[in-house]
Amino acid sequence: MFRRWLKRNRSVNGASNGRYRNGNDHLIDLRQLVKAYQTEAGPFFALKGINLKIDTGEFVAVVGKSGSGKSTLINMITGIDRPTSGDVLVGDTVVHTLNEGRMAVWRGRHVGVVFQFFQMLPTLTVIENVMLPMDFCNIYSMRERQERAMRLLEQMDIANHANKLPSAISGGEQQRAAIARALANDPPIIAADEPTGNLDSKTADAVFELFEKLVDEGKTIVMVTHDRDLARRVTRTVTLADGEIVDELVRERNRLQSPLALTETIDA
Amino acid sequence: MLSPRWRKILRDLWHNKTRTVIVVLSISVGVFAIGMIVSTQIILSEDMASGYHATNPASAYLYPGNFDDDLVEAVRRIDGVQEAEGRLDWLSVRLKVGPDEWRDLIIDVIGDYDDMRLNKVSPVSGAWPPPKKGILIERNSLPLTNASVGDVIEIETSEGKVRQLHIAGLAHDMDNPPAQFIGRPFGYITFDTLEWLGYSRTYDELHILVAENTTDKDHIQAIADQVEDKIEKSGQTVYWTYIPEPGEHPANESVQPLLIIMGVLGTLSLFLSGFLVINTISALMTQQIRQIGIMKTVGARTTQIVGMYLGAVLIFGLLSLGVAVPLGALAAHAMSQYLAYLINFDLAGFRIPPRALALEVAVGLIVPLLAALYPILSGARVTVHKALSTYGLGKGIFGRSLIDRLIEELTTATQMLSRPMRLSLRNTFRRKGRLILTLSTLTLGGAIFIAVLSVHASLLTTLDDALTYWNYEIEIRFSRPHRIAQIEREAMNIPGVSDAECWSGNTARRQRPDGHEGPNISVIGVPADTNMIQPTILEGRWLLPEDENAIVVNTEVIKEESDIKIGDEILLKIEGREATWQVVGIVQGIMTGRIAYANQSYFAEVIRYVGRSSGVQIVAEAPGDASSPESTSKHDPTFQSELAKKIKTHFDSRGLQVRQTETTASIRENIEYQFNIIVIFLSIMAVLVAIVGGLGLTGTMSINVLERTREIGVIRAVGASDASVMKVFIVEGLFIGLLSWLIGAILALPISKMLSDAVGMAFLEAPLSYTFSTQGALLWLSIVLILSALASILPAWNASRLTVREVLAYE
Repeated sequence: MFRRWLKRNRSVNGASNGRYRNGNDHLIDLRQLVKAYQTEAGPFFALKGINLKIDTGEFVAVVGKSGSGKSTLINMITGIDRPTSGDVLVGDTVVHTLNEGRMAVWRGRHVGVVFQFFQMLPTLTVIENVMLPMDFCNIYSMRERQERAMRLLEQMDIANHANKLPSAISGGEQQRAAIARALANDPPIIAADEPTGNLDSKTADAVFELFEKLVDEGKTIVMVTHDRDLARRVTRTVTLADGEIVDELVRERNRLQSPLALTETIDA
Repeated sequence: MLSPRWRKILRDLWHNKTRTVIVVLSISVGVFAIGMIVSTQIILSEDMASGYHATNPASAYLYPGNFDDDLVEAVRRIDGVQEAEGRLDWLSVRLKVGPDEWRDLIIDVIGDYDDMRLNKVSPVSGAWPPPKKGILIERNSLPLTNASVGDVIEIETSEGKVRQLHIAGLAHDMDNPPAQFIGRPFGYITFDTLEWLGYSRTYDELHILVAENTTDKDHIQAIADQVEDKIEKSGQTVYWTYIPEPGEHPANESVQPLLIIMGVLGTLSLFLSGFLVINTISALMTQQIRQIGIMKTVGARTTQIVGMYLGAVLIFGLLSLGVAVPLGALAAHAMSQYLAYLINFDLAGFRIPPRALALEVAVGLIVPLLAALYPILSGARVTVHKALSTYGLGKGIFGRSLIDRLIEELTTATQMLSRPMRLSLRNTFRRKGRLILTLSTLTLGGAIFIAVLSVHASLLTTLDDALTYWNYEIEIRFSRPHRIAQIEREAMNIPGVSDAECWSGNTARRQRPDGHEGPNISVIGVPADTNMIQPTILEGRWLLPEDENAIVVNTEVIKEESDIKIGDEILLKIEGREATWQVVGIVQGIMTGRIAYANQSYFAEVIRYVGRSSGVQIVAEAPGDASSPESTSKHDPTFQSELAKKIKTHFDSRGLQVRQTETTASIRENIEYQFNIIVIFLSIMAVLVAIVGGLGLTGTMSINVLERTREIGVIRAVGASDASVMKVFIVEGLFIGLLSWLIGAILALPISKMLSDAVGMAFLEAPLSYTFSTQGALLWLSIVLILSALASILPAWNASRLTVREVLAYE
């Protein structure tokens, strides 16, 4: 799916300096990102000139203390928030230049967002929540939507809860449902803001395994987390402090052998 | 299959039942008001017109003295006349309604009951036509006779003959005014019965129907002039010609202004319900903001979100139509039925007029959509980031504006209010936009409520003014004129009578310079130094004892004869004779109709009643002060009625046959009855407006609780009890109510003046004596405080049920 998308965009845009039409070689390319919030005490800089490049198939954990700018960073990638200055390039799209309407369509098709508090719509059943992005983006036929949503729920192992309201299932199941919803339109990127933050360790581990499976299937995942243990199982860890990247750790993941058997290199 | 987004909308409506009910009721109130008024308007206009047309109403009425069928036949042959018919109209007799109680009965005499051609009276029950010595009673009049069909009633003719008539049945007549309005019943007899009563077999009212252009008043006037010429050429004088509004029921001119005023109030209700929709949809969007953020995150475009919520509003509109259309139709039917009963016509049956339905559908769907557009657009345009952020403790800022600082200083400096009370007070001003919307609804509601009660107070003041204007208590009419000296002497011999004064009266019509006749003017001959009327002189002067052809007219004469100025000489035709009068003064007309006053002695000469009168005005003694006529108005109706009976007995025993007695209390009763109809209809609208206001406040308080969920958690965390949490919101509601009352009461001043002027002009052709209803303002204060408390209790109770954990963990 993603490859077809890239191919199509390349053919449309013709000449380009890089792999993508805006001259970026990486799937996600954040350039000199600055985000300032106006407060009564003056501007507060949540991000101070961030440069970050993420390639297809990477599983990136963004870690850092509270207030370090993790969520702000992930919001830049999903287009939920806009930078004060700098560029956000995702594939062929200069994300921060999109208006809200185009942004919603772009996000619906290309980024699946998973939140800490699941954010299921309370009056829709689990399967209806999963079908909702397909409905908004009008990608599949009505029949296909139902079938696809059920397949995703099966994949998440919660098909038996398909017709229940979110309030009737556990937090872990809600998060699985939220991941299924994030995958509804088969986006190449999954952005997750502390997806395991509200789950017990066993459930968190199960959810994390789902993410690993998705990466194996070719998805790119950017995840904000507080959980150091989980952060060790990803291919790259980006550490933020006071709005700046203070550490970046790249691992060659070989999960089949051992999650801990990783070759770590520090990217200067 | 319904897509998930529409399922969400439907389920949201179902899951938030209270909110759905508030929105649906908000819209329903407006649609109901419009539907009820427009339907009533249509049903009344259609049914009143069709019922009236079915009676084949005359185009013109001529009064050529007594005449017979030959004249009717001759008129039928005149070109342009399609039909003519004679009647003996308005024969006034006295009807015994109790052991010692009499009431006037108006009798119409119809020549041929089976061949009525114009202004047809129709049978309702019993015999048709009435047999000799029998009478048919107009169906609305029966209660005033204190009798039933089959009973025998006792009547006394103007000649003093007492006869017994058998009530043979009931009839329906749309041409006479409703009996309740004039306080006198109507009956119908044949000429045989008329002769038996001692009257001669003759007509006095000629009805004609023109052959063409039946709705053209000028054409009717021309034909009526032609008929008048022919009659006068035959040697008979036509005293008066009356041309009603062509094709229009006589009550239409009173009903239409009532419906127009109600229409204005209905539109206002709709406007207020629009405000309410804005408020409630804003609440809905506030509640939904996070979900909007989530939907946008998963790919929803703003237009899709807008579409979804407009769809929800459309559903609200449809639900409201489901509530308002049937209720509006029922209310319209009830209102039409009540008015039909008052005006005395039949409705064609229960129905929803298609035009009213179309308007209701348009109003029920378009107004909410328009009202909701702004809150929906602002809600849907919110960025995902903003939608998903839940920083701080509730929204709205307090402390920046001048008002905020003033309140802060006031509450802090005075140290009078407890801290929770101060919190309530300051909270009120946090969301100023919403506060303004809520206040607008509640304030306008209050202002209209007070205005309606002020109209009621103004109507009563006008009535009081009118009755003070007539500074006597009992009016006695004799069967024939008697000597004034005798009447007054006898009157003063009656215990309890403090003053008596004979007046003369007759009907005149102005002969205008253009040759046409003006409408009827009552000319009253009074002693120049009379105490029994207290007119307000606007221009010129009152009568002097030495005046001869001087005349004083009231403002209602001027309204019809606008060219008249002080000093002008006018030509008046009285009983077929013309006389010139000089206008010396203009007085304020107060519900008195068109009246001109002349010096009694001169006027008696003009009408050839020198030294004689057929009526006397009586002033009763005030308790403990036999010489003070000014205190007369203090007597109650029973006293007046008892005294009237004593006077009648006395005059009758002295050979002065009394035909009619009328007390100011009974006049007041009749007029109050009519005023109350206006007030009842205005009150219906006031109640509707109050409901809209109450709903508005409930909505606002619910949103306030919702928005301050976290804040409630904080208050609870620092030790607030259930009661304290509830108090914070109830006090806020009460404060909003109090504020709205204060502004509403001030706003009610101009609104009530305008409404009172409009009602006065519509029904009395003069502004009412404006009185601001302080009682109304205080009543609204009580209502608004109760409404505010009730409107806040449910949200406050919901707030008090939230636990600290729930609200602080609430994301």
